[in-house]
Amino acid sequence: MRAGTDLDAELVEKAVSGDRQAFGRLVEQHYDFVHAVAWRWSGNASDADDIAQDVCLRLGAAIRGFRGTSRFRTWLYTLTLNAARDHRRQQARDDRRMQAYASEQATVAPPEDPDEEQREALWTAVRALPEKQCDAVLLVYAEGLSHQAAADVLGCSEATISWHVHEARKRLKTLLGKEAV
Amino acid sequence: MRDDFEKLSGLTPPKASAEARARALAAAMQSFDEAEKNSSATQGSSFPVRQSSIFNRIWSPIMNRKLLAGSALATLLVVPAAAFLTFELTRDGAPFGERAQEIALKDETRKDEKRQKPEPQATAKKAVAEERARQEAKTVETPVAAPVESEAAAPAADAMANSVARDSVAPLSATGGMQPRMTFLPAPVVQEEMQPAPEHNRERFGKAESNPVKSVVTDPVSTFSVDVDTASYAFVRRSLMEGQLPERDAVRVEEMVNYFPYDWPRPESAAQPFKATVTVTPTPWNGGTRLMHVAIKGYDVVRTQAPKANLVFLIDVSGSMDEPDKLPLLKGAFRLLVEKLKPEDTVSIVTYAGNAGTVLEPTAVKDKAKILAAIDTLQPGGSTAGAEGIDAAYALAEKAFVKGGVNRVMLATDGDFNVGPSSDEDLKRLIEEKRKSGIFLSVLGFGRGNYNDALMQTIAQNGNGTAAYIDTLAEAQKTLVEEAGSSLFPIAKDVKLQVEFNPAAITEYRLIGYETRALKREDFNNDKVDAGDIGSGHSVTAIYEVTPKGSPAVLNDDLRYAEAEKPVAEASPNSGELAFLKIRYKKPDGDKSELITTPVTEANTVPALVEAPEDVRFSVAVAAFGQKLSGVTALADYTYDAVIDLAAASKGADPFGYRSEFVNLVRLAKGLGGSKN
Repeated sequence: MRAGTDLDAELVEKAVSGDRQAFGRLVEQHYDFVHAVAWRWSGNASDADDIAQDVCLRLGAAIRGFRGTSRFRTWLYTLTLNAARDHRRQQARDDRRMQAYASEQATVAPPEDPDEEQREALWTAVRALPEKQCDAVLLVYAEGLSHQAAADVLGCSEATISWHVHEARKRLKTLLGKEAV
Repeated sequence: MRDDFEKLSGLTPPKASAEARARALAAAMQSFDEAEKNSSATQGSSFPVRQSSIFNRIWSPIMNRKLLAGSALATLLVVPAAAFLTFELTRDGAPFGERAQEIALKDETRKDEKRQKPEPQATAKKAVAEERARQEAKTVETPVAAPVESEAAAPAADAMANSVARDSVAPLSATGGMQPRMTFLPAPVVQEEMQPAPEHNRERFGKAESNPVKSVVTDPVSTFSVDVDTASYAFVRRSLMEGQLPERDAVRVEEMVNYFPYDWPRPESAAQPFKATVTVTPTPWNGGTRLMHVAIKGYDVVRTQAPKANLVFLIDVSGSMDEPDKLPLLKGAFRLLVEKLKPEDTVSIVTYAGNAGTVLEPTAVKDKAKILAAIDTLQPGGSTAGAEGIDAAYALAEKAFVKGGVNRVMLATDGDFNVGPSSDEDLKRLIEEKRKSGIFLSVLGFGRGNYNDALMQTIAQNGNGTAAYIDTLAEAQKTLVEEAGSSLFPIAKDVKLQVEFNPAAITEYRLIGYETRALKREDFNNDKVDAGDIGSGHSVTAIYEVTPKGSPAVLNDDLRYAEAEKPVAEASPNSGELAFLKIRYKKPDGDKSELITTPVTEANTVPALVEAPEDVRFSVAVAAFGQKLSGVTALADYTYDAVIDLAAASKGADPFGYRSEFVNLVRLAKGLGGSKN
């Protein structure tokens, strides 16, 4: 978490009560965080832009309803994850329609570094997991949250997070084959 | 594998482009301003306002912003976008709710609703009309989408006009899903079979089909246990407030009906613990049937005569309780309850999470400060170990056992019991065993997403307690303070109802609700069979839809070979009766049941529903709503509007606003109801 938590809290409070300027600063401060999370979830920069913008929209509309009792950062995670999920669903639909027009999507150039390549494969595999598992794995491993904090973001119990991570491992094992495990 | 996962943290995300960043920040400010406008606006349609943000998102990278200033142009472009949006909404299933829930805007939605309550119905109607006109204009252009649109658009517009779950949540999230691509998409051709499966809600509800229509000739007797739980109503309310129709299995009609306080005729003395009042009225949703409305009111124990209470709060403080609508709400709720208790009552607190712990040994309520301080110290953390917690709670309850008083464990949780090695069955057995030793158990449910309604209901039923679902402090006030008497002081236990219909008068019947409470006919007289309890001042309402003999609404054909027996029935001295109502109950400390019987005759009937007492009409409205939500086909043609009219006309004094709230919920459901009405 950032150093200026107190400052943050004050800013959040002001924004919640309708202070336009405070809200502007708040969004500015957190945009990069949202963008980074969005990027991890979507895996490409232009999607991340879209998702982050969507989160900003939601923030503007919803900030007045935010209650200081839950952490702002946790809430941001939740908003971003939801936006990413919506985005993905929308995309899945669009993709299918687009296929009627475009025969092939541009393929991403494979990275040169073999280590990077393996990592990329892992990311792809993780993103292909069922939503809940994917969210749990990314929150815990990519975002470095504790199971507890991840549970707060996803609104479930800590045990559930642990279970999702466990399931994700099991599934990845079959997905990636033995050598990757 | 762990190492592999850790690689995930290695990637550094690219920096966001300055352009995207600026665009996003601008969007945020715009949406912030719009939210403000919307919350202060009292009139007019928010429709174009909302859409302009979509508009902005779609076009801002392409078009010069100055063009946006022309609101006429904006409107022109918005119309097809709106139509597309509504179309998308229908294809998407129930998008309002899912997002609404996720964004966790409960408070704002609720606030908005309150603020905008006086918004005239006319606005809503106007919005619908306008929307329809737009749809019609569009029909020519997109023949494929049109039929779906016109159905979807009306509720969509209506939901907006009704202003709940609207301002910020629903249309906005729909916006979120809309990508710029839509502008050049072809008419949708691909079916949805490849779409990711809808997310599974982990809340669990006991599954029960609605009671079927039964023929009096083959099943003359209907038997069930009373149910004074109200959890289902609070749950339904929460769903709707969040912009989502509740799951069918979450709707228990009898709990919705019984949620409301009714002023049924009261018994005169404690010697007769309750009084049953039967009213027979025409059915609003079916001209060929009648409703047999059975209302039971429990005797109200005067507070000073109330027995001494020994309460053990068993509180789930697992990590998941760290949400504003869980632990903090729970603390508030228990504080309210403590205020309500008598000085000589005792309270203990046990928490469970990771390992169960006793927070407060049995303490008399006159030492209130100590109890309140103990409540304040509760902190979330750890996972749930319910079984140990329950053991500890029962141990404390036994320690402070009040003979002849109220000994009750009040379990507060947001979800599942992690019962470790023991199964749900073992847990039930334990609770049952303790119940026999005089310690009852009630359940207070909190939060959503993980709530195991089925288990909680079973636990409460086995523990002779009530299961209540608490989503707001107001609900806590209702459950724990206004109805404290009824949930704490049972006046009768194992209360069973049996109705025998007279085949000479009634051909068919259907019990509305109580699906999870059905009993076997022979269990009525079997005192060993457990049933529901009635607390001080409780009221219980059960409604049958009955089809009189000879009515055109009869569904089952006559039995060809049953003819011969009929004259016998007609000749019997009870031929003037429609049905015969029997109630069996035990005194709270008794083992032998007692019987109350009431014949139902034409004297109980009223010729028109409007002539029925207000409370009867209101409860019928609630029953109709509950059935609609649970998808009972008999009510498919009965509109939400009719429910609204019926309920609004029978609100009565409504001192706590419960009934007005109900009417609003019906409006919400109507808005969310998709193509149905």
